[in-house]
Amino acid sequence: MGGMTLSILEVNELTKDYGNHKGIFNITFSMDERDVFGYLGPNGAGKTTNLRCLMGFLNPNHRNCLIMGMDCRLEQENIQKNIGYLPEEIAFFDEMTGDNFLDLMASMRNLKHMERRIQLVDRFQLDTMGKIRKMSKGMKQKLAIVSAFMHDPKVYILDEPTAGLDPLMQNVFVELILEEKKKGKTILMSSHNFEEVSRTCNKVGIIRDGNLVAVEEIHSLLSVQKKNYFITFTSNEDANAFLKMIPDSRMAGELVVETWITGDMNSLIKTMGQFNVRDIQVSSRNLEEVFMRYYGGGSHD
Amino acid sequence: MISFPLFRQTLKSNYKFFIIFLLILTMYFSVIITMYDPINVESMQLLLQSLPKEVVNAMNFNLIGSTFTGFLASYLYGFLIIVFPMIYTIILTNRLIAKHIDNGSMAYLLASPNSRKKVVFTQMIYLVTSIILLMGSLFVLAYIIAEIAYPGLIDVRTFVILNFGALLLHLAIGSIAFLSSCIFNDSKDSLAFGAGIPILFFLIQMLGNVGDKLSFLKNFTLFSIFNPQSILEGSASVPISFAALFIIAALLYAAGIFIFNKKDLPI
Repeated sequence: MGGMTLSILEVNELTKDYGNHKGIFNITFSMDERDVFGYLGPNGAGKTTNLRCLMGFLNPNHRNCLIMGMDCRLEQENIQKNIGYLPEEIAFFDEMTGDNFLDLMASMRNLKHMERRIQLVDRFQLDTMGKIRKMSKGMKQKLAIVSAFMHDPKVYILDEPTAGLDPLMQNVFVELILEEKKKGKTILMSSHNFEEVSRTCNKVGIIRDGNLVAVEEIHSLLSVQKKNYFITFTSNEDANAFLKMIPDSRMAGELVVETWITGDMNSLIKTMGQFNVRDIQVSSRNLEEVFMRYYGGGSHD
Repeated sequence: MISFPLFRQTLKSNYKFFIIFLLILTMYFSVIITMYDPINVESMQLLLQSLPKEVVNAMNFNLIGSTFTGFLASYLYGFLIIVFPMIYTIILTNRLIAKHIDNGSMAYLLASPNSRKKVVFTQMIYLVTSIILLMGSLFVLAYIIAEIAYPGLIDVRTFVILNFGALLLHLAIGSIAFLSSCIFNDSKDSLAFGAGIPILFFLIQMLGNVGDKLSFLKNFTLFSIFNPQSILEGSASVPISFAALFIIAALLYAAGIFIFNKKDLPI
Protein backbone atom coordinates (compact mmCIF):
# COMPACT_ATOMS: atom_id res chain seq x y z
CA MET A 1 0.00 0.00 0.00
CA GLY A 2 1.54 3.27 -1.05
CA GLY A 3 0.14 5.88 1.32
CA MET A 4 -3.51 6.88 1.57
CA THR A 5 -4.79 8.88 -1.33
CA LEU A 6 -7.42 11.28 -0.08
CA SER A 7 -10.45 11.70 -2.26
CA ILE A 8 -11.16 15.26 -3.29
CA LEU A 9 -14.86 14.83 -2.75
CA GLU A 10 -16.53 12.25 -0.59
CA VAL A 11 -20.19 11.59 0.07
CA ASN A 12 -20.60 9.23 3.01
CA GLU A 13 -23.95 7.54 3.63
CA LEU A 14 -25.48 10.96 3.14
CA THR A 15 -29.14 11.16 4.08
CA LYS A 16 -31.45 14.14 3.93
CA ASP A 17 -34.96 13.00 4.70
CA TYR A 18 -37.81 15.40 3.97
CA GLY A 19 -40.37 12.79 4.98
CA ASN A 20 -42.86 11.16 2.66
CA HIS A 21 -40.00 9.33 0.89
CA LYS A 22 -38.71 12.65 -0.39
CA GLY A 23 -35.04 13.43 -0.05
CA ILE A 24 -31.85 11.45 -0.54
CA PHE A 25 -31.01 8.27 1.30
CA ASN A 26 -27.71 6.71 2.23
CA ILE A 27 -25.77 8.06 -0.73
CA THR A 28 -22.10 7.14 -0.97
CA PHE A 29 -19.60 7.95 -3.69
CA SER A 30 -16.26 9.65 -4.02
CA MET A 31 -14.28 11.57 -6.62
CA ASP A 32 -10.57 12.02 -7.22
CA GLU A 33 -8.62 14.58 -9.19
CA ARG A 34 -9.53 14.65 -12.86
CA ASP A 35 -12.82 12.92 -12.20
CA VAL A 36 -15.74 14.34 -14.09
CA PHE A 37 -18.85 12.88 -12.56
CA GLY A 38 -22.18 13.15 -14.32
CA TYR A 39 -25.14 13.01 -11.99
CA LEU A 40 -28.18 11.71 -13.80
CA GLY A 41 -31.74 11.16 -12.79
CA PRO A 42 -35.25 12.41 -13.38
CA ASN A 43 -36.35 15.76 -11.99
CA GLY A 44 -37.05 15.48 -8.29
CA ALA A 45 -34.83 12.43 -7.84
CA GLY A 46 -32.54 14.27 -5.43
CA LYS A 47 -29.63 15.56 -7.53
CA THR A 48 -30.06 19.15 -6.41
CA THR A 49 -30.56 18.12 -2.77
CA ASN A 50 -27.23 16.27 -2.93
CA LEU A 51 -25.47 19.26 -4.50
CA ARG A 52 -26.96 21.58 -1.86
CA CYS A 53 -25.57 19.33 0.87
CA LEU A 54 -22.15 19.61 -0.79
CA MET A 55 -22.53 23.39 -0.72
CA GLY A 56 -23.34 23.34 2.99
CA PHE A 57 -26.84 24.76 2.50
CA LEU A 58 -28.62 21.78 4.08
CA ASN A 59 -28.14 19.86 7.32
CA PRO A 60 -27.89 16.13 6.60
CA ASN A 61 -29.89 13.78 8.82
CA HIS A 62 -27.17 11.18 8.66
CA ARG A 63 -23.40 11.28 8.09
CA ASN A 64 -21.86 13.89 5.84
CA CYS A 65 -20.04 14.94 2.73
CA LEU A 66 -16.44 16.12 2.62
CA ILE A 67 -14.54 18.22 0.13
CA MET A 68 -10.77 18.17 0.43
CA GLY A 69 -11.23 16.48 3.78
CA MET A 70 -13.44 19.23 5.24
CA ASP A 71 -17.05 18.78 6.32
CA CYS A 72 -19.26 20.61 3.84
CA ARG A 73 -21.75 21.82 6.42
CA LEU A 74 -19.31 22.83 9.16
CA GLU A 75 -16.48 24.30 7.12
CA GLN A 76 -18.44 25.85 4.28
CA GLU A 77 -16.47 29.09 4.42
CA ASN A 78 -13.08 27.39 3.93
CA ILE A 79 -14.28 24.95 1.32
CA GLN A 80 -15.82 27.67 -0.86
CA LYS A 81 -12.39 29.10 -1.61
CA ASN A 82 -11.81 26.08 -3.84
CA ILE A 83 -15.27 25.63 -5.31
CA GLY A 84 -16.98 26.95 -8.38
CA TYR A 85 -20.73 26.58 -7.98
CA LEU A 86 -23.45 26.96 -10.52
CA PRO A 87 -26.91 26.82 -8.94
CA GLU A 88 -29.98 25.47 -10.63
CA GLU A 89 -31.90 28.70 -10.13
CA ILE A 90 -30.80 31.46 -12.42
CA ALA A 91 -32.85 34.30 -11.01
CA PHE A 92 -30.57 36.68 -9.17
CA PHE A 93 -29.79 40.34 -8.48
CA ASP A 94 -32.18 41.55 -11.14
CA GLU A 95 -31.37 45.20 -10.85
CA MET A 96 -27.64 44.72 -11.42
CA THR A 97 -25.80 44.64 -14.72
CA GLY A 98 -23.76 41.58 -15.64
CA ASP A 99 -20.58 43.48 -14.86
CA ASN A 100 -21.89 44.64 -11.47
CA PHE A 101 -22.73 41.07 -10.60
CA LEU A 102 -19.33 39.71 -11.62
CA ASP A 103 -17.65 42.59 -9.74
CA LEU A 104 -19.62 41.72 -6.63
CA MET A 105 -18.75 38.04 -6.87
CA ALA A 106 -15.10 38.84 -7.52
CA SER A 107 -14.89 41.17 -4.55
CA MET A 108 -16.67 38.71 -2.27
CA ARG A 109 -14.02 36.20 -3.31
CA ASN A 110 -11.28 38.76 -2.89
CA LEU A 111 -10.36 38.00 -6.50
CA LYS A 112 -7.88 40.45 -7.98
CA HIS A 113 -6.99 38.89 -11.32
CA MET A 114 -9.54 39.54 -13.99
CA GLU A 115 -7.81 37.95 -17.03
CA ARG A 116 -9.71 34.70 -16.73
CA ARG A 117 -13.01 36.50 -16.31
CA ILE A 118 -12.35 38.54 -19.44
CA GLN A 119 -11.42 35.39 -21.37
CA LEU A 120 -14.57 33.60 -20.25
CA VAL A 121 -16.85 36.53 -21.08
CA ASP A 122 -15.23 36.66 -24.48
CA ARG A 123 -15.45 32.93 -25.04
CA PHE A 124 -19.14 32.74 -24.23
CA GLN A 125 -19.86 35.95 -26.15
CA LEU A 126 -21.52 37.35 -23.09
CA ASP A 127 -22.79 40.90 -23.07
CA THR A 128 -22.14 42.04 -19.51
CA MET A 129 -23.31 45.62 -19.93
CA GLY A 130 -27.04 45.01 -19.72
CA LYS A 131 -29.27 44.61 -16.70
CA ILE A 132 -29.69 41.01 -15.60
CA ARG A 133 -33.48 41.48 -15.52
CA LYS A 134 -33.48 42.03 -19.27
CA MET A 135 -31.21 39.09 -20.12
CA SER A 136 -32.47 35.95 -21.85
CA LYS A 137 -32.33 32.63 -20.01
CA GLY A 138 -29.27 31.59 -22.01
CA MET A 139 -27.51 34.85 -21.25
CA LYS A 140 -28.16 34.47 -17.52
CA GLN A 141 -26.84 30.93 -17.69
CA LYS A 142 -23.62 32.13 -19.32
CA LEU A 143 -23.26 34.74 -16.61
CA ALA A 144 -23.64 32.03 -13.96
CA ILE A 145 -21.00 29.94 -15.75
CA VAL A 146 -18.52 32.83 -15.81
CA SER A 147 -19.17 33.45 -12.13
CA ALA A 148 -18.53 29.77 -11.31
CA PHE A 149 -15.34 29.52 -13.36
CA MET A 150 -13.65 32.91 -13.08
CA HIS A 151 -11.68 32.23 -9.89
CA ASP A 152 -10.10 29.05 -11.29
CA PRO A 153 -11.28 26.77 -8.45
CA LYS A 154 -10.09 23.19 -7.88
CA VAL A 155 -13.57 21.70 -7.64
CA TYR A 156 -16.69 22.47 -9.65
CA ILE A 157 -20.23 21.75 -8.56
CA LEU A 158 -22.54 22.45 -11.46
CA ASP A 159 -26.31 22.00 -11.39
CA GLU A 160 -27.54 21.60 -14.96
CA PRO A 161 -24.87 23.90 -16.37
CA THR A 162 -26.05 23.96 -19.97
CA ALA A 163 -29.76 24.47 -19.34
CA GLY A 164 -30.90 27.22 -21.68
CA LEU A 165 -27.72 27.29 -23.79
CA ASP A 166 -27.91 26.94 -27.56
CA PRO A 167 -25.98 24.01 -29.16
CA LEU A 168 -23.06 26.24 -30.12
CA MET A 169 -22.62 27.43 -26.56
CA GLN A 170 -23.12 23.92 -25.20
CA ASN A 171 -20.13 23.00 -27.31
CA VAL A 172 -18.08 25.88 -25.92
CA PHE A 173 -19.01 24.67 -22.47
CA VAL A 174 -18.00 21.06 -23.17
CA GLU A 175 -14.61 22.27 -24.43
CA LEU A 176 -14.17 24.32 -21.28
CA ILE A 177 -14.92 21.28 -19.10
CA LEU A 178 -12.43 19.16 -21.03
CA GLU A 179 -9.73 21.80 -20.51
CA GLU A 180 -10.43 21.96 -16.81
CA LYS A 181 -10.31 18.17 -16.61
CA LYS A 182 -6.89 18.23 -18.26
CA LYS A 183 -5.74 20.71 -15.62
CA GLY A 184 -6.62 18.14 -12.96
CA LYS A 185 -9.85 19.69 -11.74
CA THR A 186 -12.60 17.67 -10.12
CA ILE A 187 -16.02 18.28 -11.64
CA LEU A 188 -19.42 17.16 -10.46
CA MET A 189 -22.36 18.07 -12.63
CA SER A 190 -25.97 17.14 -12.90
CA SER A 191 -27.31 17.04 -16.40
CA HIS A 192 -29.96 15.88 -18.82
CA ASN A 193 -27.79 16.39 -21.85
CA PHE A 194 -26.52 13.23 -23.54
CA GLU A 195 -23.87 14.94 -25.65
CA GLU A 196 -22.46 16.82 -22.72
CA VAL A 197 -22.27 13.86 -20.36
CA SER A 198 -20.89 11.36 -22.84
CA ARG A 199 -18.25 13.82 -24.07
CA THR A 200 -17.08 15.06 -20.69
CA CYS A 201 -17.74 12.58 -17.91
CA ASN A 202 -15.69 9.53 -17.04
CA LYS A 203 -18.12 8.43 -14.34
CA VAL A 204 -21.86 8.55 -14.15
CA GLY A 205 -24.05 8.27 -11.08
CA ILE A 206 -27.70 7.46 -11.48
CA ILE A 207 -30.09 8.61 -8.80
CA ARG A 208 -33.67 7.54 -8.57
CA ASP A 209 -36.21 8.40 -5.86
CA GLY A 210 -33.37 9.59 -3.67
CA ASN A 211 -31.30 6.44 -4.00
CA LEU A 212 -28.06 6.17 -5.89
CA VAL A 213 -28.84 3.19 -8.11
CA ALA A 214 -25.48 2.88 -9.79
CA VAL A 215 -22.11 4.51 -10.25
CA GLU A 216 -20.53 3.38 -13.50
CA GLU A 217 -17.67 4.19 -15.82
CA ILE A 218 -19.11 6.02 -18.79
CA HIS A 219 -17.69 3.46 -21.27
CA SER A 220 -19.53 0.56 -19.76
CA LEU A 221 -22.73 2.53 -19.88
CA LEU A 222 -22.26 3.62 -23.46
CA SER A 223 -21.74 0.02 -24.44
CA VAL A 224 -25.22 -0.87 -23.24
CA GLN A 225 -26.82 2.09 -24.93
CA LYS A 226 -29.41 1.07 -27.45
CA LYS A 227 -29.30 2.90 -30.76
CA ASN A 228 -31.95 2.96 -33.44
CA TYR A 229 -30.93 2.93 -37.12
CA PHE A 230 -33.23 3.90 -39.92
CA ILE A 231 -31.97 2.27 -43.12
CA THR A 232 -33.38 3.28 -46.47
CA PHE A 233 -33.05 0.66 -49.21
CA THR A 234 -33.33 1.12 -52.94
CA SER A 235 -35.93 -1.63 -53.44
CA ASN A 236 -38.68 -3.41 -51.54
CA GLU A 237 -37.02 -6.76 -52.15
CA ASP A 238 -33.89 -5.62 -50.35
CA ALA A 239 -35.88 -4.21 -47.48
CA ASN A 240 -37.88 -7.40 -47.02
CA ALA A 241 -34.82 -9.63 -47.26
CA PHE A 242 -33.08 -7.48 -44.66
CA LEU A 243 -36.10 -7.71 -42.35
CA LYS A 244 -35.87 -11.48 -42.42
CA MET A 245 -32.16 -11.53 -41.61
CA ILE A 246 -32.26 -9.15 -38.64
CA PRO A 247 -34.70 -10.16 -35.92
CA ASP A 248 -34.86 -6.77 -34.07
CA SER A 249 -36.24 -4.79 -36.99
CA ARG A 250 -39.47 -3.53 -38.51
CA MET A 251 -40.70 -1.52 -41.47
CA ALA A 252 -40.74 2.16 -40.59
CA GLY A 253 -41.90 3.61 -43.90
CA GLU A 254 -41.57 3.29 -47.67
CA LEU A 255 -38.28 1.40 -48.19
CA VAL A 256 -37.24 2.27 -44.64
CA VAL A 257 -36.39 -0.33 -42.02
CA GLU A 258 -35.82 0.47 -38.38
CA THR A 259 -33.48 -1.68 -36.36
CA TRP A 260 -32.04 -1.36 -32.89
CA ILE A 261 -28.79 -2.64 -31.48
CA THR A 262 -26.94 -2.51 -28.22
CA GLY A 263 -23.15 -2.51 -28.28
CA ASP A 264 -21.43 -4.33 -31.16
CA MET A 265 -22.63 -3.25 -34.58
CA ASN A 266 -20.37 -5.36 -36.82
CA SER A 267 -23.06 -7.83 -37.75
CA LEU A 268 -25.36 -5.00 -38.82
CA ILE A 269 -22.70 -3.53 -41.09
CA LYS A 270 -21.97 -6.91 -42.63
CA THR A 271 -25.64 -7.56 -43.27
CA MET A 272 -26.16 -4.13 -44.81
CA GLY A 273 -23.21 -4.74 -47.11
CA GLN A 274 -25.23 -7.36 -48.96
CA PHE A 275 -27.83 -4.82 -50.10
CA ASN A 276 -28.12 -1.51 -51.88
CA VAL A 277 -28.45 1.06 -49.13
CA ARG A 278 -29.41 4.62 -49.98
CA ASP A 279 -29.30 6.21 -46.52
CA ILE A 280 -28.72 5.51 -42.81
CA GLN A 281 -29.92 7.61 -39.95
CA VAL A 282 -29.00 7.01 -36.33
CA SER A 283 -31.09 8.14 -33.42
CA SER A 284 -29.76 7.57 -29.96
CA ARG A 285 -32.27 7.66 -27.19
CA ASN A 286 -31.88 10.08 -24.36
CA LEU A 287 -29.03 8.83 -22.19
CA GLU A 288 -31.02 9.15 -19.06
CA GLU A 289 -33.95 7.22 -20.41
CA VAL A 290 -31.63 4.46 -21.53
CA PHE A 291 -29.94 4.25 -18.16
CA MET A 292 -33.20 4.43 -16.30
CA ARG A 293 -34.54 1.48 -18.25
CA TYR A 294 -31.34 -0.38 -17.65
CA TYR A 295 -31.29 0.14 -13.91
CA GLY A 296 -34.72 1.17 -12.84
CA GLY A 297 -36.83 -1.91 -13.48
CA GLY A 298 -38.99 0.05 -15.88
CA SER A 299 -41.48 1.72 -13.56
CA HIS A 300 -41.21 4.86 -15.68
CA ASP A 301 -42.02 3.08 -18.92
CA MET B 1 -17.18 39.49 10.78
CA ILE B 2 -18.58 41.84 8.14
CA SER B 3 -18.29 41.57 4.36
CA PHE B 4 -17.61 45.03 2.96
CA PRO B 5 -18.34 44.11 -0.66
CA LEU B 6 -21.76 42.84 0.39
CA PHE B 7 -22.34 45.92 2.55
CA ARG B 8 -21.52 48.17 -0.40
CA GLN B 9 -23.89 46.21 -2.61
CA THR B 10 -26.69 46.35 -0.02
CA LEU B 11 -26.16 50.08 0.32
CA LYS B 12 -26.27 50.51 -3.44
CA SER B 13 -29.55 48.68 -3.86
CA ASN B 14 -31.27 50.24 -0.83
CA TYR B 15 -30.12 53.85 -0.46
CA LYS B 16 -32.88 55.22 -2.70
CA PHE B 17 -35.43 53.53 -0.51
CA PHE B 18 -33.87 55.28 2.50
CA ILE B 19 -33.95 58.67 0.79
CA ILE B 20 -37.61 58.30 -0.16
CA PHE B 21 -38.60 57.65 3.43
CA LEU B 22 -36.43 60.44 4.70
CA LEU B 23 -38.02 62.87 2.23
CA ILE B 24 -41.57 61.86 3.12
CA LEU B 25 -40.81 62.23 6.80
CA THR B 26 -39.04 65.54 6.27
CA MET B 27 -42.14 66.87 4.60
CA TYR B 28 -44.43 65.77 7.41
CA PHE B 29 -42.03 67.05 10.02
CA SER B 30 -41.81 70.51 8.50
CA VAL B 31 -45.57 70.78 8.24
CA ILE B 32 -46.35 69.55 11.72
CA ILE B 33 -43.61 71.38 13.58
CA THR B 34 -44.52 74.71 12.04
CA MET B 35 -48.18 74.06 12.88
CA TYR B 36 -47.34 74.76 16.51
CA ASP B 37 -48.52 78.14 17.59
CA PRO B 38 -47.69 78.99 21.21
CA ILE B 39 -50.55 81.44 21.47
CA ASN B 40 -53.06 79.15 19.92
CA VAL B 41 -52.42 75.95 21.83
CA GLU B 42 -55.77 76.43 23.46
CA SER B 43 -57.54 76.73 20.15
CA MET B 44 -55.73 73.57 19.02
CA GLN B 45 -57.11 71.81 22.03
CA LEU B 46 -60.55 73.14 21.23
CA LEU B 47 -60.15 71.78 17.72
CA LEU B 48 -59.17 68.38 19.11
CA GLN B 49 -62.19 68.43 21.40
CA SER B 50 -64.39 68.91 18.38
CA LEU B 51 -63.05 65.67 16.88
CA PRO B 52 -64.40 62.32 18.08
CA LYS B 53 -62.55 61.45 21.27
CA GLU B 54 -61.74 57.93 20.04
CA VAL B 55 -59.89 59.23 16.99
CA VAL B 56 -57.80 61.60 19.05
CA ASN B 57 -56.96 58.90 21.54
CA ALA B 58 -56.11 56.31 18.93
CA MET B 59 -53.59 58.66 17.36
CA ASN B 60 -52.13 59.29 20.78
CA PHE B 61 -52.67 63.04 20.37
CA ASN B 62 -54.29 63.33 23.77
CA LEU B 63 -51.31 63.96 26.00
CA ILE B 64 -50.75 67.37 24.56
CA GLY B 65 -49.08 69.66 27.02
CA SER B 66 -48.94 73.34 26.52
CA THR B 67 -45.16 73.23 25.96
CA PHE B 68 -43.56 72.99 22.54
CA THR B 69 -41.76 69.77 23.46
CA GLY B 70 -45.06 68.34 24.68
CA PHE B 71 -46.63 69.28 21.37
CA LEU B 72 -43.85 67.47 19.47
CA ALA B 73 -44.03 64.47 21.78
CA SER B 74 -47.68 63.95 21.06
CA TYR B 75 -47.91 64.90 17.40
CA LEU B 76 -44.64 63.48 16.10
CA TYR B 77 -43.62 60.82 18.59
CA GLY B 78 -47.10 59.50 19.29
CA PHE B 79 -47.89 58.42 15.77
CA LEU B 80 -45.85 59.65 12.81
CA ILE B 81 -42.43 58.71 14.01
CA ILE B 82 -43.71 55.30 14.94
CA VAL B 83 -45.64 54.38 11.83
CA PHE B 84 -43.41 55.57 9.00
CA PRO B 85 -40.06 54.26 10.21
CA MET B 86 -41.85 51.04 11.15
CA ILE B 87 -42.93 50.57 7.54
CA TYR B 88 -39.41 51.40 6.42
CA THR B 89 -37.87 48.85 8.77
CA ILE B 90 -40.27 46.07 7.82
CA ILE B 91 -39.83 46.47 4.09
CA LEU B 92 -36.08 46.91 4.32
CA THR B 93 -35.57 43.83 6.47
CA ASN B 94 -37.47 41.71 4.01
CA ARG B 95 -35.26 43.01 1.19
CA LEU B 96 -32.11 42.25 3.15
CA ILE B 97 -32.56 38.53 3.81
CA ALA B 98 -35.81 36.80 2.89
CA LYS B 99 -35.80 38.20 -0.63
CA HIS B 100 -32.31 36.83 -1.28
CA ILE B 101 -33.45 33.36 -0.28
CA ASP B 102 -36.73 33.65 -2.12
CA ASN B 103 -35.15 34.56 -5.45
CA GLY B 104 -32.07 32.39 -5.06
CA SER B 105 -29.42 35.11 -4.98
CA MET B 106 -28.39 33.93 -1.50
CA ALA B 107 -26.87 30.88 -3.24
CA TYR B 108 -24.34 33.14 -4.95
CA LEU B 109 -23.52 35.01 -1.76
CA LEU B 110 -22.94 31.78 0.15
CA ALA B 111 -21.03 30.16 -2.71
CA SER B 112 -18.32 32.72 -2.00
CA PRO B 113 -15.91 32.06 0.86
CA ASN B 114 -18.06 33.97 3.35
CA SER B 115 -19.82 32.17 6.19
CA ARG B 116 -23.56 32.41 6.68
CA LYS B 117 -22.90 34.25 9.93
CA LYS B 118 -20.84 36.86 8.13
CA VAL B 119 -23.44 37.37 5.39
CA VAL B 120 -26.39 37.69 7.75
CA PHE B 121 -24.41 39.82 10.22
CA THR B 122 -23.50 42.20 7.41
CA GLN B 123 -27.18 42.56 6.53
CA MET B 124 -28.03 43.15 10.18
CA ILE B 125 -25.37 45.85 10.43
CA TYR B 126 -26.90 47.55 7.41
CA LEU B 127 -30.36 47.38 8.98
CA VAL B 128 -29.19 48.77 12.33
CA THR B 129 -27.03 51.46 10.74
CA SER B 130 -29.83 52.62 8.48
CA ILE B 131 -32.32 52.78 11.37
CA ILE B 132 -29.83 54.82 13.40
CA LEU B 133 -29.21 57.10 10.42
CA LEU B 134 -32.90 57.54 9.71
CA MET B 135 -33.80 58.36 13.31
CA GLY B 136 -30.65 60.45 13.71
CA SER B 137 -31.46 62.49 10.61
CA LEU B 138 -35.02 63.00 11.79
CA PHE B 139 -33.78 64.18 15.17
CA VAL B 140 -31.38 66.70 13.64
CA LEU B 141 -34.00 67.78 11.14
CA ALA B 142 -36.71 68.27 13.72
CA TYR B 143 -34.30 70.17 15.92
CA ILE B 144 -33.22 72.50 13.12
CA ILE B 145 -36.77 73.15 11.95
CA ALA B 146 -37.88 73.77 15.54
CA GLU B 147 -35.01 76.18 16.23
CA ILE B 148 -35.70 78.10 13.05
CA ALA B 149 -39.43 78.30 13.64
CA TYR B 150 -39.38 78.87 17.40
CA PRO B 151 -35.82 79.67 18.59
CA GLY B 152 -35.06 78.51 22.12
CA LEU B 153 -38.47 77.05 22.74
CA ILE B 154 -37.54 73.38 22.64
CA ASP B 155 -36.52 71.52 25.78
CA VAL B 156 -33.36 69.96 24.35
CA ARG B 157 -32.73 67.41 27.09
CA THR B 158 -36.23 65.96 26.97
CA PHE B 159 -36.22 66.06 23.19
CA VAL B 160 -32.96 64.07 23.03
CA ILE B 161 -34.33 61.45 25.41
CA LEU B 162 -37.52 61.26 23.37
CA ASN B 163 -35.53 60.61 20.21
CA PHE B 164 -33.26 58.10 21.83
CA GLY B 165 -36.31 56.17 23.02
CA ALA B 166 -37.84 56.23 19.54
CA LEU B 167 -34.55 54.91 18.14
CA LEU B 168 -34.52 52.02 20.61
CA LEU B 169 -38.15 51.27 19.79
CA HIS B 170 -37.34 51.00 16.08
CA LEU B 171 -34.29 48.87 16.70
CA ALA B 172 -36.61 46.52 18.60
CA ILE B 173 -39.21 46.55 15.80
CA GLY B 174 -36.37 45.88 13.37
CA SER B 175 -35.27 42.92 15.46
CA ILE B 176 -38.72 41.31 15.17
CA ALA B 177 -38.71 41.74 11.40
CA PHE B 178 -35.10 40.52 11.25
CA LEU B 179 -35.81 37.38 13.27
CA SER B 180 -38.82 36.63 11.09
CA SER B 181 -36.73 37.11 7.96
CA CYS B 182 -34.14 34.69 9.34
CA ILE B 183 -36.70 32.04 10.23
CA PHE B 184 -38.83 31.99 7.10
CA ASN B 185 -37.60 31.18 3.61
CA ASP B 186 -40.53 32.65 1.75
CA SER B 187 -40.73 36.40 1.39
CA LYS B 188 -44.47 36.01 1.98
CA ASP B 189 -44.14 34.25 5.33
CA SER B 190 -41.33 36.49 6.43
CA LEU B 191 -43.46 39.55 5.74
CA ALA B 192 -46.56 38.03 7.33
CA PHE B 193 -44.79 37.70 10.66
CA GLY B 194 -42.19 40.43 10.38
CA ALA B 195 -44.86 42.98 9.48
CA GLY B 196 -47.81 41.26 11.12
CA ILE B 197 -46.47 41.26 14.67
CA PRO B 198 -45.45 44.95 14.81
CA ILE B 199 -48.66 46.03 13.07
CA LEU B 200 -50.73 43.91 15.44
CA PHE B 201 -48.92 45.50 18.38
CA PHE B 202 -49.64 48.87 16.91
CA LEU B 203 -53.35 48.17 16.42
CA ILE B 204 -53.62 46.83 19.94
CA GLN B 205 -51.96 50.00 21.17
CA MET B 206 -54.45 52.17 19.28
CA LEU B 207 -57.40 50.12 20.54
CA GLY B 208 -56.01 50.21 24.05
CA ASN B 209 -55.84 53.99 23.90
CA VAL B 210 -59.47 54.27 22.90
CA GLY B 211 -61.47 52.18 25.28
CA ASP B 212 -61.07 51.58 28.98
CA LYS B 213 -62.16 47.98 28.60
CA LEU B 214 -59.38 47.21 26.17
CA SER B 215 -56.76 49.41 27.72
CA PHE B 216 -55.19 46.49 29.60
CA LEU B 217 -54.19 45.01 26.22
CA LYS B 218 -51.73 47.72 25.45
CA ASN B 219 -49.51 46.63 28.30
CA PHE B 220 -48.56 43.61 26.24
CA THR B 221 -47.07 45.36 23.24
CA LEU B 222 -43.68 46.68 22.40
CA PHE B 223 -45.13 50.17 22.06
CA SER B 224 -46.19 50.32 25.66
CA ILE B 225 -42.51 50.26 26.63
CA PHE B 226 -41.89 53.48 24.71
CA ASN B 227 -44.03 56.02 26.44
CA PRO B 228 -43.62 59.68 25.38
CA GLN B 229 -45.72 60.83 28.32
CA SER B 230 -43.45 59.35 30.98
CA ILE B 231 -40.45 60.78 29.15
CA LEU B 232 -42.06 64.24 29.30
CA GLU B 233 -42.76 63.78 32.96
CA GLY B 234 -39.18 62.62 33.55
CA SER B 235 -40.50 59.41 35.13
CA ALA B 236 -38.05 57.07 36.87
CA SER B 237 -39.26 54.17 34.74
CA VAL B 238 -37.72 55.63 31.59
CA PRO B 239 -34.20 54.16 31.94
CA ILE B 240 -35.71 50.76 32.73
CA SER B 241 -37.94 50.81 29.67
CA PHE B 242 -35.00 51.87 27.49
CA ALA B 243 -32.92 49.01 28.85
CA ALA B 244 -35.82 46.63 28.17
CA LEU B 245 -36.07 47.75 24.53
CA PHE B 246 -32.32 47.38 24.14
CA ILE B 247 -32.27 43.88 25.61
CA ILE B 248 -35.23 42.73 23.49
CA ALA B 249 -33.53 44.03 20.35
CA ALA B 250 -30.15 42.48 21.20
CA LEU B 251 -31.70 39.10 21.98
CA LEU B 252 -33.82 38.96 18.84
CA TYR B 253 -30.95 40.00 16.55
CA ALA B 254 -28.74 37.34 18.12
CA ALA B 255 -31.50 34.75 17.80
CA GLY B 256 -31.94 35.64 14.12
CA ILE B 257 -28.26 35.13 13.38
CA PHE B 258 -28.21 31.87 15.34
CA ILE B 259 -31.24 30.48 13.52
CA PHE B 260 -30.05 31.55 10.08
CA ASN B 261 -26.74 29.86 10.76
CA LYS B 262 -28.39 26.56 11.69
CA LYS B 263 -31.29 26.16 9.33
CA ASP B 264 -31.73 24.42 6.00
CA LEU B 265 -31.53 26.83 3.10
CA PRO B 266 -33.62 25.90 0.07
CA ILE B 267 -31.35 27.72 -2.34
